[in-house]
Amino acid sequence: MDDNNKPGPLRSRPTMRELVYFCVISLVLLVSLAIAPAKNYFSEWRHYQKSYLAIAGQRQSGTLVRSFQGGLHQTWIAKLGVVDRCESCHVNLSGALVGASEQPFRKHPPMPHKLDEFGCVICHRGQGPATSVKEAHYTTEAWEQPLLPARFLESGCGQCHLGPLQGAPRLNEGRSLLSSMGCVHCHTVAQPDGNVLKPDDNPPPLTHIAEKTSREWIYAWIKNPQLYAGSATMPNFQLNDQDAADISAFLIAQSSASPASGTETKTVATAAPSANASIEAATLYGASFCSSCHAIQNEAGNLVGGNLGPELTRVGSKVNPDWLRRWLDNPSSYHPGTRMPHYRMDQKQVALLSGFLLAKKDNDYLANVHLAPASADSIARGKKLVAETGCAACHQINGVNPPQNFAPDLTLVGSRALAQVVFAPGMKHNLPDYIAAKIHDPRSFGPGLKMPKFALGDSQVDELTTALLAQTDRAAGFPKELIISGGRTTNYHPGGKAGRLMEDLRCLSCHAINGNGGDMAPDLTWEGSAVQHTWLEDFLKNPNTLRPALIRRMPKFNLTPDEIKTVTDYITSAYQSPALDLQPLDPHVLNADAAGRGKQLFYSKYGCQSCHIADYKNDKGYVGPALTSVGNRLTPEWTYNWLKEPNAFRPATLMPNFSLKDDEARDLTAFLMTLKAKQGGGK
Amino acid sequence: MATIKTEFEKLRSTDVWRTIFRSGSGSSNLHRSQAVQQNIFLHLFSVKIRSRALEFSATWYLGALTLSTFFVLIATGILLMFYYHPSVPQAYADMKDLQFVVASGVFLRNLHRWSAHAMVFLVFAHMFKVFYRGAYRPPRQFNWVIGVFLLLLTLLLSYTGYLLPWDQLSFWAVTVGSNIAKAVPLMGKQIRFLMLGGNEVNANALLRFYVLHCVILPLTAILLVGVHFWRIRKDGGLHVPEKKTP
Repeated sequence: MDDNNKPGPLRSRPTMRELVYFCVISLVLLVSLAIAPAKNYFSEWRHYQKSYLAIAGQRQSGTLVRSFQGGLHQTWIAKLGVVDRCESCHVNLSGALVGASEQPFRKHPPMPHKLDEFGCVICHRGQGPATSVKEAHYTTEAWEQPLLPARFLESGCGQCHLGPLQGAPRLNEGRSLLSSMGCVHCHTVAQPDGNVLKPDDNPPPLTHIAEKTSREWIYAWIKNPQLYAGSATMPNFQLNDQDAADISAFLIAQSSASPASGTETKTVATAAPSANASIEAATLYGASFCSSCHAIQNEAGNLVGGNLGPELTRVGSKVNPDWLRRWLDNPSSYHPGTRMPHYRMDQKQVALLSGFLLAKKDNDYLANVHLAPASADSIARGKKLVAETGCAACHQINGVNPPQNFAPDLTLVGSRALAQVVFAPGMKHNLPDYIAAKIHDPRSFGPGLKMPKFALGDSQVDELTTALLAQTDRAAGFPKELIISGGRTTNYHPGGKAGRLMEDLRCLSCHAINGNGGDMAPDLTWEGSAVQHTWLEDFLKNPNTLRPALIRRMPKFNLTPDEIKTVTDYITSAYQSPALDLQPLDPHVLNADAAGRGKQLFYSKYGCQSCHIADYKNDKGYVGPALTSVGNRLTPEWTYNWLKEPNAFRPATLMPNFSLKDDEARDLTAFLMTLKAKQGGGK
Repeated sequence: MATIKTEFEKLRSTDVWRTIFRSGSGSSNLHRSQAVQQNIFLHLFSVKIRSRALEFSATWYLGALTLSTFFVLIATGILLMFYYHPSVPQAYADMKDLQFVVASGVFLRNLHRWSAHAMVFLVFAHMFKVFYRGAYRPPRQFNWVIGVFLLLLTLLLSYTGYLLPWDQLSFWAVTVGSNIAKAVPLMGKQIRFLMLGGNEVNANALLRFYVLHCVILPLTAILLVGVHFWRIRKDGGLHVPEKKTP
């Protein structure tokens, strides 16, 4: 040993104590390193897969157990941004293991789409990549879109299906409420294809309001519209007495004279309110089918009638008698955009009907309204309030411009980040509850908020929420071919002389033509191809219903023979379908032989009588139109093509496509064309 | 014990051993010092140190612990890089994959994260220890400066790593951080633009931070750590205060 190597303080052997420290620390390290793989091994999804196999084993499903592939199951769809691992636990979505009723092994109800084409979260929300129950289903610190409650599930459909969708009634109703409650007057709701929802509530202009009603009525109405008419769509702005008085003062002050105000109406029959007259008036109200659009509360308190026009239960407390007579005489001279047809009633009818309506009165309604005379101050304040409240977003008002971007854009409200949402105290922190609460009672979020309270039932709130939850940013990023646009409303209007007449009759309030118009009555787009000229003339002279189960029919508009000819000529020549195949129908193939074969097909092979009536004595079909005089009504070409492919002409028709062979369709047409009205009979 | 010792001596005299450790067998001081000097990894260190410097109380092993966390970070960081794409929005989805499907992915991430926190803490502790023991004084003043640069690198590594998960926390942290950089007089905007590769925190910023975090900063740190250790030898070993005579 050289002297550099003299023993220093370094020890070559550890002491016992150091060995113990070393062992303990090593053990702790080993255990902590073992925790990670152990956590992986005891993960929830493995547990569920094991219990699935256990259940399958108990049921003696050897094939199920053998064919089961363990491990993480995932659906990965790059173009939709879907990474869903739900199937790692929900292993029985296909229902291979029959009767497993406990989640996560329940069978999925019939699905409109394939799982591997859309995954789970596109409809259900939740966190698809997650593999633990808590993370996948609920809101966590890093995930704000928990599973959607089942009642909002249809919002998933609405991301791609932008129009009405069969099987999604809540979504459809919600979308139509957005239009019919006038939500989209203030809020912009744009769909991924660029379609912007349009209002469908037709709010009346207030530019000549002083002719129509009194300041007292306006005051009572704006304070609580539903007090006047339970079915009113106008929301409650929760105005205080002073504000309501000022607004009513301004509305009366801004009113100008309408073009109709000059015409004097005679009050012929109102002087004699005999019992006879009241029966006659009620009959006229019924025969004019006012109740197709207007509702009246009956003695039992139920609303009877449609909702296209305002409720008339207390109309006598509202309108000025002179105005009502002018209105019944020609509505569009007061409100050019009204959906009410010009009925062409004579003076006697106007008097009868106005008398009938004015009697619909609630004497208590305005009994307690006493307003101080309007001062200039009050009018000025009213104008300011009208601008602030946003009345002009819906109503046309003299001197107040419609506000732009008055309310938040709701285009992407269905994926609004919760961080941007201000919740009311005590609310559940999730988006569906927030939207529903906002619709149900907007002012509960703070007294200064402008959104009024709409009269909506709980189910309507849910429907609106469903429609709004469909407005996601996810949908905005979908491939374009997935987006299924709804039927866009066009701005088609018939032209020329007949067009002006049809405008005057407001055909489009009930009928749709070329994608524009209402849905109360049949679509007339191809009516010219469908019906025979003489039948249409007769129908316009005296409309009756074609469907045996329907009482409602088209009102009679008192048209002159000239007007009927104009309209009929126009419809039969303009509304022709280019899809109609006119080739295979030689008149001589529709012979008696063919008709005989057709009758066989009608009654035996296709059982048409289950929906249609060809013979009043024997048939009981009440679903489709009666066919007893169809030979007078429809053209053979239309009948033939219609039978072959009904939904090519009317996509929403209930009539099934039987995929008839050419000769079958021909024979059936021949049979149907023999069904003609008896000479002299109307039907 | 004796047989183990002789077996080891046998191993040391094989050709393979001798080609790798060229100092030869034997345990003389010459051999020992040659063993250190001829090894690229060891030659940075002193051939001889005071045994006092190896005691816990001398350094509390803070520098060595810092180095250990750095090694853990490199090892786990490389593993994490196998699962990570520095792109928007895949970066966040990769975090979710680590959380939900990668075997022990959460453990890996947590190990990286806690080691990073520990490293920042240990670096500070190391500096305080050096400062209060007076080890920054000449001749070690240069190594102190290198240490300050290493502190900066540690903080920058920590900061750049913070953006990579691409969640709200990281997004806003970097937004705030880059806005602080913008507050620099005259050229604040340019500094921020350079940092983010644009005017806001987006895909460019993510890529920049990724490259800084995984390539530039670690390489610089390794280089400076090398210099740091080499300077210890050059400055006469670890600073060990004289033992007070009782």
